[in-house]
Amino acid sequence: MKPINMTVLALAAGAASNAFGTQYLTVEQAQQAMFPDASGFKDASLQLSAEQMKQVEKLSGLPARSVAWRVFAAYKGDTQLGYMVLDDVVGKFELISYAVAVNPDASIKQIEILTYRESHGFEIKSPAWRKQFVGKTAAAGLAIGDGIASISGATLSCTHVTDGVRRIAAIAQVALKK
Amino acid sequence: MKKNILAQAVALALMASPLAASASEAELLKRLDKLAAEVEQLKAELAATKKKADTVEKRQDALAAAPVAPVAVAAAPAVAAAPVSTVAATSPATMLGPNTVLSSYGEVNYTRPRHDSSKAQTDVARAVIGITHRFDEKTKMVAEFEWEHAVTSASDKGETEVEQLYVEREFNNGLRAKGGLFLIPAGLLNTNHEPTAYYGVYRNFVETAIIPSTWREAGLGLSQTLDNGLTWDAGVTTGFDLSKWDAASTEGRDSPLGSIHQEGQMAKSHDLSVFGALNWRGVPGLLLGGSVFTGKVGQKTPDFPAQDARLTLWDLHARYTPGKWDLSAVYARGTISNTEALNQTFAGQPTPVPSSFYGWYTQAAYQLWKNSDYTLTPFVRYERFNTANGYAAMPAGLAVATGPNEGVWTTGLNFNVGEGVVLKADYQKFKVDTARDRFNLGLGYAF
Repeated sequence: MKPINMTVLALAAGAASNAFGTQYLTVEQAQQAMFPDASGFKDASLQLSAEQMKQVEKLSGLPARSVAWRVFAAYKGDTQLGYMVLDDVVGKFELISYAVAVNPDASIKQIEILTYRESHGFEIKSPAWRKQFVGKTAAAGLAIGDGIASISGATLSCTHVTDGVRRIAAIAQVALKK
Repeated sequence: MKKNILAQAVALALMASPLAASASEAELLKRLDKLAAEVEQLKAELAATKKKADTVEKRQDALAAAPVAPVAVAAAPAVAAAPVSTVAATSPATMLGPNTVLSSYGEVNYTRPRHDSSKAQTDVARAVIGITHRFDEKTKMVAEFEWEHAVTSASDKGETEVEQLYVEREFNNGLRAKGGLFLIPAGLLNTNHEPTAYYGVYRNFVETAIIPSTWREAGLGLSQTLDNGLTWDAGVTTGFDLSKWDAASTEGRDSPLGSIHQEGQMAKSHDLSVFGALNWRGVPGLLLGGSVFTGKVGQKTPDFPAQDARLTLWDLHARYTPGKWDLSAVYARGTISNTEALNQTFAGQPTPVPSSFYGWYTQAAYQLWKNSDYTLTPFVRYERFNTANGYAAMPAGLAVATGPNEGVWTTGLNFNVGEGVVLKADYQKFKVDTARDRFNLGLGYAF
């Protein structure tokens, strides 16, 4: 667990997730890419209750991990188009920052990789890999070997991002679904 | 710098809490409360320190103004992340935090030949320590240091080696350049050689006897991954030194290239080699690729009769992982040209330089059982290889018989504990050299 601890130290000590590593998309660019029709975004960051965290764990089969989640709500006029949830996971050695767009019904609309720093597995950014998530919910199809195919040579990165998306799908189900 | 120390203290407090937040609700809330109280206290102290730290403050402001600074929540450990992040986000430690990652892998193996148990053996085959340091957002250093066979000294059989030592820089267009000692992107195993990444106690024969993993060369390399899933690699590196060939030993039969590799050890560099590789991962779960490596191997060694000898090694590989299946295949073939004169000097010795050597394998693994942290994956692999498939023509009477096409069945299972630990058991059956039939047990880890 050493690499995680070190990264956590950097993070917890205040390293904003994009301080190091190559950034492919800013948060604003990700918002535009995922909700091109949106006229505006509002901060809709979440604080999960203990009860919600328990539900998230049950739905995703993963530790809920965090109370606070950075979320933006996308609007076109008064109509809510969906949400964008930001997250970071450790790939093999380094942090992967990504964004998940969810529809109002809590299904996955799109995922975008914001930063990727590993030496292998850049294919995780490819549209073909990311497309596997579209339309799925926490209920099924969001696990490596069960709906999501891994990338040879980048198994850990794929597994951790896939788990992260499943967790966010569960959070959407529990706390964001209309 | 007081704030920095505070932030570090918070970070340490965080690290003390477990990474996973699956704790019970009550425990969770308790910890939350406790940390929230601590954070309040820290906040108060921070506020008091603020006035005194004008210079730090300015830097802080600059950082806060930097584009995109998502609250440091996600990967931080669990429950405490939320309240603490407010402190963390205002900490000046942002650019001072360590950005060095320690990694390691290792394997301990037990082998028992089926027909000769007196040769049963246990070996701490590999112990590797890796350090990755990121200098800035686009520049990093990767180093791996390895011990093989536990003990290294003049009278022991172990080896100590630098397995990788390179600096990589990424450019805006996604192009990555690296320089130093790095792995050649050949086959499936060479760049993914941790024990958790392959099936079976030992690495397969094709990617040890034909592709000499762990195969690294010193030089310069370029690489780029395109949006369509295609990755290309190209570079100029050191190559092999044919003057190291020992025709009296059988080492060249075990692995022709393994016996003449230079591994960055005062490597003769008169003749450099070039490599190129293409890998396509455009369909999720599928990898199709190939590589070529070629260079002269005479190295202008004085009085060496094979100055024009050229090594070319190429491979084609595929891996497909639909659902619980993991299917892969590799074909690799090497040639060494212009060895006639050299082999004549080896007349009468058992191991002349082959003009060609090749191997292929096909492997299927299936994830049979998975229960939270445990995964059981049986596999079967068949390989066929010949390290002396052909020799350059020799004068009558001096010819040496080519090697056999050895075939090996390996069947066994990998039992993974979490992501980092693997227990392995397998049985290997040899078609030609049946004395090598053996049972193997292994323990490996990687992080």
